[in-house]
Amino acid sequence: MAGSEFDYEGTLEACAAGDRAAFKRLYQQEAGQLLGLAITLLGRRDQAEDCLHDALLKVWVNAERFDRSLGSGRAWIYSILRYRALNQLRGRKQLVATDDGFINDMADEAAQAEELADARSSARQLRACLRLLERPRRHPILLAFYRGLTHDQIAARLSAPLGTIKGRIRAGLRALQECLQP
Amino acid sequence: MIPQAPEQRRALIGEYVLGLLDEPEASEVRQLIEHDRDAARMALDWERHLLDLADALPAQQPSLALWQRLQQSLGWLPASSESGGGLSHWWNSLGLWRLTSAGLALLVLLSWLPGVLRDAPTGPSYTAVLQVPGESARPGWVITVDGDGTLTLDALVADQIPPDRSVQFWTLVDPKEGPRSLGLIEPGKAVTLSAEQIGAVQAGQLFELTLEPEGGSPLNRPTGPVLYIGRAVLIAGS
Repeated sequence: MAGSEFDYEGTLEACAAGDRAAFKRLYQQEAGQLLGLAITLLGRRDQAEDCLHDALLKVWVNAERFDRSLGSGRAWIYSILRYRALNQLRGRKQLVATDDGFINDMADEAAQAEELADARSSARQLRACLRLLERPRRHPILLAFYRGLTHDQIAARLSAPLGTIKGRIRAGLRALQECLQP
Repeated sequence: MIPQAPEQRRALIGEYVLGLLDEPEASEVRQLIEHDRDAARMALDWERHLLDLADALPAQQPSLALWQRLQQSLGWLPASSESGGGLSHWWNSLGLWRLTSAGLALLVLLSWLPGVLRDAPTGPSYTAVLQVPGESARPGWVITVDGDGTLTLDALVADQIPPDRSVQFWTLVDPKEGPRSLGLIEPGKAVTLSAEQIGAVQAGQLFELTLEPEGGSPLNRPTGPVLYIGRAVLIAGS
């Protein structure tokens, strides 16, 4: 639902004031996209729905702590969902088998000439900036975001030494923030 | 431990937001974000940029039970979640015992008008027999949708399902919208869903049970074989 006119900040403030209809609107607007991310992170629909349930409860209960002067309301909601999903992942004894095909595809995406120009000018979207990175820096960041993997797990998945992976991620994030900052 | 230079600090917060920091570093950054507004802004800014990656994923329709469950957790629903239509709700909440004699007299008057006050709204009811695809002599489950829209799924068989698989219940109202998950079911075990959970049922509406990976389909549609399938048939109009 990116790019919609939905007023996330106003809706969260209405939730903080106890407006149940606002919470329902938020659910209708965002639950599907949130679930998409939770399923990708957790690999199982039932656990993803549990995670979404817990995260949305937290959104309602903590809505009064949201402060629009700190940033985007939509980002705040996703930070709660991702935090819960990551905790759920860290509590697991073993990883759920997942198909990482789309992550590999994204890792392979090379930037088009137009995008290079675009990313360096005004738009500054993360995906465009990611495509500017070399694959060894891009891939671990995608695995961290979409699979919630730790440094160790990424190193194992990519058969690279831990120190190398840590260095690549740090360098990748530095390059991203340079690309993203106006 | 936390660098002062803004670029380094921002990158470290990025690692924290991605969930990559171990303890005790993660706790240090968490503390910083809680107490330093600039750090909190940086964290939310990373999160906002990461939305671009979240939005690259297809949205997935939550099962219809999730909204119900949320409302229950929030204490917005009475403990028994029998959700009737508006009229029956009004009827129950008002309570006949609270009516004054004047009110009762009005009630008697009104009751002469056809269809004004009824105990329960009676809409159309439907049934669907779910069968093994292509084998009309092998019914496995029966669906009934009663007049107030409550759906009951009753088992005629109790199949053995591999331990790493789940059975998921779906309906298809509009082929353009695609199938909608009604949640996971246990083989052989009846399920009841409220009208609010399933929405209005139409004649000819498709219902099916599919075999999915443990925990349900990872996608917004069935991914495994259809075990049972059938269409709603109108048994009584309103």
